[in-house]
Amino acid sequence: MRMNDMDPFEQRLKRQPLRQAPADWREEILTMAREAQPLRQTATVQGDSLFSVLNRRLASLLWPHPVAWGGLAAVWVLIFAAHFSIEDKAPVMAEKALPPSPEVVAELRQQQRMLAELIGVSDASDADRPKVLVPAPRSERVVILNA
Amino acid sequence: MRGTRIEQLYDGHAPSLFAYLLNFTRNENDTRDVLQEIFVKIAREPELLKNVLNERAFLIRLAHNAAIDLIRRRDTRERTRENVAAETITVFAPAGDPDEEVFRQQLSAALVELPEEQRAVVHLKLWEEMTFEAIAETLGISPNTAASRYRYGLDKLRERLRPLYKEITNANE
Repeated sequence: MRMNDMDPFEQRLKRQPLRQAPADWREEILTMAREAQPLRQTATVQGDSLFSVLNRRLASLLWPHPVAWGGLAAVWVLIFAAHFSIEDKAPVMAEKALPPSPEVVAELRQQQRMLAELIGVSDASDADRPKVLVPAPRSERVVILNA
Repeated sequence: MRGTRIEQLYDGHAPSLFAYLLNFTRNENDTRDVLQEIFVKIAREPELLKNVLNERAFLIRLAHNAAIDLIRRRDTRERTRENVAAETITVFAPAGDPDEEVFRQQLSAALVELPEEQRAVVHLKLWEEMTFEAIAETLGISPNTAASRYRYGLDKLRERLRPLYKEITNANE
C-alpha cells in the first residue's frame, strides 16, 4: 500500500510529525553504550588506560546490583579465608606432636620385656616355636588308614 | 564496532525508535530505558548486526520485544494508573495551528485506546512506511495478520476521530 493507495484520512494521519527524542538523551545513551563495548574495542578506540577500561567493564558487569554482587564476593572471600585458615592449622598440629625421647623408648621396651617374663612368653625365634598342628584334609586321612 | 559506528546507529535510528517506543509505552522514562537497553546491547554484542539486511527493522524488533517485556513486568495496578497519564503524553510534535494541535492530541489519545498489537502495526505502517510483509517479519506475525490488525486499528481511529476530522475537513474546504 503506497501513499496513493491510502484514503484521505490515512494520508492525514501519516502527515502528522512525530515527536523527537530529547537531545540530552543522545550523549547519555551513547556514553552507556560506549562503556558496554567489549574490552578490546574500547581500549583501541578510546586509548584509555587498562585500569580504567577494566574498572568500567567491571562496573557494567556488576550493574544493576553492585551491592548484591559485592556482598556475594565478600561471602566468598570469607569462605576461602575460613577454608585456608583451617587447612593451615592441620600440619601445625602434626608438627607439634614430637617423637618420643630415647629414654621413653627404652623404658617402654623394658616394661614390655618384664611383661613378657611375667606371663611366660620368651623371645624365642620363629624356628624354635612349636609348629601348630594343622589337620590334614579328610581325603588324605582316609589314604593313611587304608595304607 | 568502532566508536563512531554506535553514534551512526543512534543518529540513524534513534528518532524512529523513540517515537515507536513512546507510542507503545506512553512513558518517557520507560522509553529512555528501552532505548538505552537496545544501544547497550548492540554495543556489547556488535555481531548481532553482522548479517542484518534491514537495520531499522531489526532494531524495531529489539525495541518491540524489550517494550513487551517491560509492559509485562509492570504491575497491573501501576499500569492502570499509568494509562490515565498516558492519555496526556503525546507522541506528536506540537503544532502551530490550534485545530491541528487538537487533532494531534485526539489522535494521540485514540492511539492509546488501541490494543498494543494494533497500535504497533498502525505505527509501523503509517509512520515507518513499512509494507505488511516487512511489518510481519519485524513483529513475527503473518502478513495477513498484519494487514487485518492495521484495518481494525484504522477503523477504530476513524470512528474515534470522525467528528473532529469532518469538522477540520469542512473548515478547510
